[in-house]
Amino acid sequence: MLRVMLRKCWAKRWMVLCLVLGSILLIATVVSFPMYRNAAFDRMLKDEFQNYLTEYGEWPAMQEMVIISKKEKDGATMARIESLLDGIYQQLGVTEKNNIEYYSLARVGAKSLMKNTEELYLRLAYMSDLPEYAQMISGEMYSEDGLAEDGSIEVVISQQCMVTSDLLIGETIEFDALKGVDGKKIRMKIVGVFEEADSKDFYWQVSPDAMDNVCLMNEKLFREYFTGANAAKYTITCSYYSLFEYEDIQASNAAHMMKEIKYLTEESPYRSVISQPAYLNILESFSGKQNKIEATLFILQVPVLILLGAFLFMISGQMYDMEKNEISVIKSRGSSSGQVFRLYLYQSVFLTLIGLGGGLPLGTLFSRILGSAENFLEFDITRELNIHITTDVCQYAAAAAAISVLIMTLPALKHSRLSIVKLKQQNALKRKSLWEKLFLDVICLGISLYGFYSFSKNQDAMVQSVLQGESLDPLLYISSSLFIVGAGLLFLRLQPLLIGLVYNLGRRFWKPASYASFMENIKNGRKQQFIMLFMILTISLGMYHATVARTILANAKQNAEYLQGADMIIQEKWTDNSSFASQSQGDITLQYDEPDYSKYATLKSARSYTKVIFDDRAYLKDKSDTIPVTLMGIHTREFGENTYVEKELLDKHYYEYLNELAVVSNGVLVSRNYETIMGMRVGDTITVYNKDNKNITLKILDFFDYWPGYAPTSLGLNPDGSVSRSENYLMVSNISTLTQKWGVTPYEVWFTLKEDANSDEVYQWVQDNNVTVRKYVDKAAEVQKVVEDPLLQGTNGVLTMGFIVTIILCAVGYLIYWIMSIRSREMMFGVLRACGMHKGELFQMLMNEQIFSGVLSIFAGIGIGKLTSKMFVPMLQTAYAAANQVLPMELITNQMDMIRLYCVIAGVMAVCLAVLILLVFKLNVTKALKLGEE
Amino acid sequence: MENAKNTKIAIEIKGIDRVFPLAGGGSFQALQDINAQVPEGVLTILKGRSGSGKTTLMNIVGALDHPTAGTVLIGGRDIGKMSDKERENLRRKEFGFVFQAVSLIPTMNAFQNVEFSMRMAGIKEGRKKRVEECLKMVGLGSRMHHMPSEMSGGEQQRVAIARAIAHSPKIIFADEPTAELDSAMAAEVTKLFQEMTKKENVTIVMTTHDVGLQGAGEMVIELESGRQVPQE
Repeated sequence: MLRVMLRKCWAKRWMVLCLVLGSILLIATVVSFPMYRNAAFDRMLKDEFQNYLTEYGEWPAMQEMVIISKKEKDGATMARIESLLDGIYQQLGVTEKNNIEYYSLARVGAKSLMKNTEELYLRLAYMSDLPEYAQMISGEMYSEDGLAEDGSIEVVISQQCMVTSDLLIGETIEFDALKGVDGKKIRMKIVGVFEEADSKDFYWQVSPDAMDNVCLMNEKLFREYFTGANAAKYTITCSYYSLFEYEDIQASNAAHMMKEIKYLTEESPYRSVISQPAYLNILESFSGKQNKIEATLFILQVPVLILLGAFLFMISGQMYDMEKNEISVIKSRGSSSGQVFRLYLYQSVFLTLIGLGGGLPLGTLFSRILGSAENFLEFDITRELNIHITTDVCQYAAAAAAISVLIMTLPALKHSRLSIVKLKQQNALKRKSLWEKLFLDVICLGISLYGFYSFSKNQDAMVQSVLQGESLDPLLYISSSLFIVGAGLLFLRLQPLLIGLVYNLGRRFWKPASYASFMENIKNGRKQQFIMLFMILTISLGMYHATVARTILANAKQNAEYLQGADMIIQEKWTDNSSFASQSQGDITLQYDEPDYSKYATLKSARSYTKVIFDDRAYLKDKSDTIPVTLMGIHTREFGENTYVEKELLDKHYYEYLNELAVVSNGVLVSRNYETIMGMRVGDTITVYNKDNKNITLKILDFFDYWPGYAPTSLGLNPDGSVSRSENYLMVSNISTLTQKWGVTPYEVWFTLKEDANSDEVYQWVQDNNVTVRKYVDKAAEVQKVVEDPLLQGTNGVLTMGFIVTIILCAVGYLIYWIMSIRSREMMFGVLRACGMHKGELFQMLMNEQIFSGVLSIFAGIGIGKLTSKMFVPMLQTAYAAANQVLPMELITNQMDMIRLYCVIAGVMAVCLAVLILLVFKLNVTKALKLGEE
Repeated sequence: MENAKNTKIAIEIKGIDRVFPLAGGGSFQALQDINAQVPEGVLTILKGRSGSGKTTLMNIVGALDHPTAGTVLIGGRDIGKMSDKERENLRRKEFGFVFQAVSLIPTMNAFQNVEFSMRMAGIKEGRKKRVEECLKMVGLGSRMHHMPSEMSGGEQQRVAIARAIAHSPKIIFADEPTAELDSAMAAEVTKLFQEMTKKENVTIVMTTHDVGLQGAGEMVIELESGRQVPQE
């Protein structure tokens, strides 16, 4: 059987090659999903931990526990916790970074044996691995065995302890209330004063500054004296800090970690002593995003997967069609259906195994491409993701392989029951396709239009679900996909009518070639429906996806750029006299010390810069209420040089607003909502208070809709889950007017950077100049964040990959269909040639057929793609960017994408053409006719 | 010289050789020195066993293939000196073909198939009348709008014959037209050919290996292993 199968495969090697290609692409597409997802999530999780670290300066991956062992027999709790912690890294599945134990005895009275001072209250303690992390200010570290020559315990103390408790190096101290096992009072000798070797090391969870009564001793000695069997006599506070590496945490482990931590902190017997770790929040917020991204990317992949399945089904169906005769002969000679079926099953498994061999490496490549996607069909290959083959990748691969086998074998199930009699019967029948009878096109269109209608009516609900962190609503995406399918099918229903109409118009005059091709299309067109639908779907999905990807990313980028206001903004920390003011009794006016402004001239990366007063805690007084507003003070000319607002967003040119303000020193430009909501008019005066409660009265010159960095409204969620929209009020006045009235007022510096500037230079400058930065905005970094956002990047990547895969399928599918269709009609071409049809006419006939099916499908695909984009992209855009989309949405189609798409199509058509020419000119009349005689 | 004779000569075959190169080198002589003159309006039977070279000869005379040596004159014109295009025009206007296997265009019904040969020949007027006339002649007047897949082999072959005659060619080439028909049907088709030579004054060249039909022709060319068997 195996030999039969291999021989069969060789005989149909081109078809088999197509099946293998389909299988490879299917498996690669499927496995690239978990591969990319895992790698992108790892990166995302690392970023989240990193952000926490930069924001709070604390090690984010840490588990903290504190217990107090109160004279417990054998220190059982201590021992239990220690053994729990020994296994905690393994339990959480993380790599240990540092495990810090800090045990301290209760504070007890002590007396110096050297000087007669008042009674001291000190505690003996140890910190694990202290000698490694401490450095001595004076004296030395306790010795290896921890005992001095006179038998007293050697201890080291912090500077803080030395000062507070007035201790000296070399002093021996006796604890009155602390007796050793032998019943004698414990004595200790101070041998040194320590400080942190590196104060930034996360070992220092407890700062030496806080150890004002702590004397640290050798761990081994401490354990020998106070723990274990001796624990029953002492009260010990035990703090455990388990630090682990966050960079090694794999996203796939996040759920497991969350489960373990929740168990430990909420259910385990230790729940009261384990504190809720900070990283739980990180993990939880991450897993929310993760679910959203995962679901969204999956939804986006579905159409491609369906097309892949359809491709496999089409090719294997085509292959079985070609083998129909053989199958029916075998069957009529007594082979059982089971045997025929098994033959095809083996073949499917064999081909799928090859598919797996090629699909896994290709999938790795796909996921790398996904991870380097910058935009639709644009990649930055220098950015690499860390791709692994994990168990879930294998599961996906296995599932894809199973599906591949299933789809390839499915047609065999139908055909294995075929006998020669049934075949003849089947050939004689001409039926309407099932979808035509079921009006599937009308149904698809109906459902999708209903979806379109209800989504466009309920935009608010959509915004709400996005704010709540839900994934792209599958129904929305399905609606758009269904629309494409429905419109494609509708076209297939109309296409024969169109062809029929054209045929009837010139019925009497058609030349033989056109006549023959019309007849072919009218009578045989149904056979082509599948490939035509395939082309329509490929092209319209391609166009739609290109528009989706471009629009979402471009809008997000524009939005991010707009919201930053300028290339870079720095606000230094200003000092003022407030601390002095609070100490003295009298009313002292608040005064600021202006930092040196001239130093900005030394920042080489800046092309230009300007002072901007930016006070987002200003307010208006309205009877008893205050209305929070944002107040900007600008130098109009300089501000105009450093910022810009697109013409389309404003009623008049941006610079006209600036000019208006420039000539009226007490004028103010205000946002549109002063007019629409507060009911103010041009010429009205407003008194505004700044955050220091100083006021100024300004005259309204004009209203604007947009301003650099200004978002007219903010969206948020109410506690009940509904969407809240809050107005942002902005007013812009002359900086000179403000400072004249208020004196020196803190300002930000807004920059325009040079083309080749990079943020490292700016950081370096900030360090070199010792600038304490309070606010720092880096537009390029913000935009880069958008590009690297896993949701956007994944979307771009998935859509691009999907596009490439469908193009390949479409090209191969169309070629295969054509070659097969032509080869099956070779004998007829021979007849036509024998009857005197010229080569040119034969060629023209086949060209016509291509125009009727291929070219018409292409145009239909383009039309449907454009329509779908117009209808659905705005809604998808909302689904992606509802929360912070400030600028009006703009539908972006890149001409290059379309040109690329058309080029690929033109390429496919050219290959088809070449095949046609080759075929027509190679066609040997006598041979073709001989074919018929055999 | 030939022109001096009473009846016009439709086909003149002079010294035809046809040698096929073989795949493994060497060659195979399919025809050797064939000579014949076929008068107009005569049913000519090209007979011989399978492999004797009938179809090869027919392909050469029908301007589908070139001889290795010798000339074929159709109505006095040397078809060997014609361009491909001229040969194609000759085939579509002056020749009609009937092939052994069913050769109808599957996407056209009987009427359209017959009409198609008239379109090919560039006939614009009176097509409908002529198609109906031809289909009636072959006895299919009532099945004009049936698709080939809805007809039996014999019926399909008769449509093919109607198609071959519809554009009023000077010569019809029929390659084993009866091979897939039963003997009664074969006799009927042969009878049809005989009638057509009378009615339409068409010259018909028909190959057959069916001994029963070989007497039907007014003229017989017999081949054996590529050589002409002299007729008494």
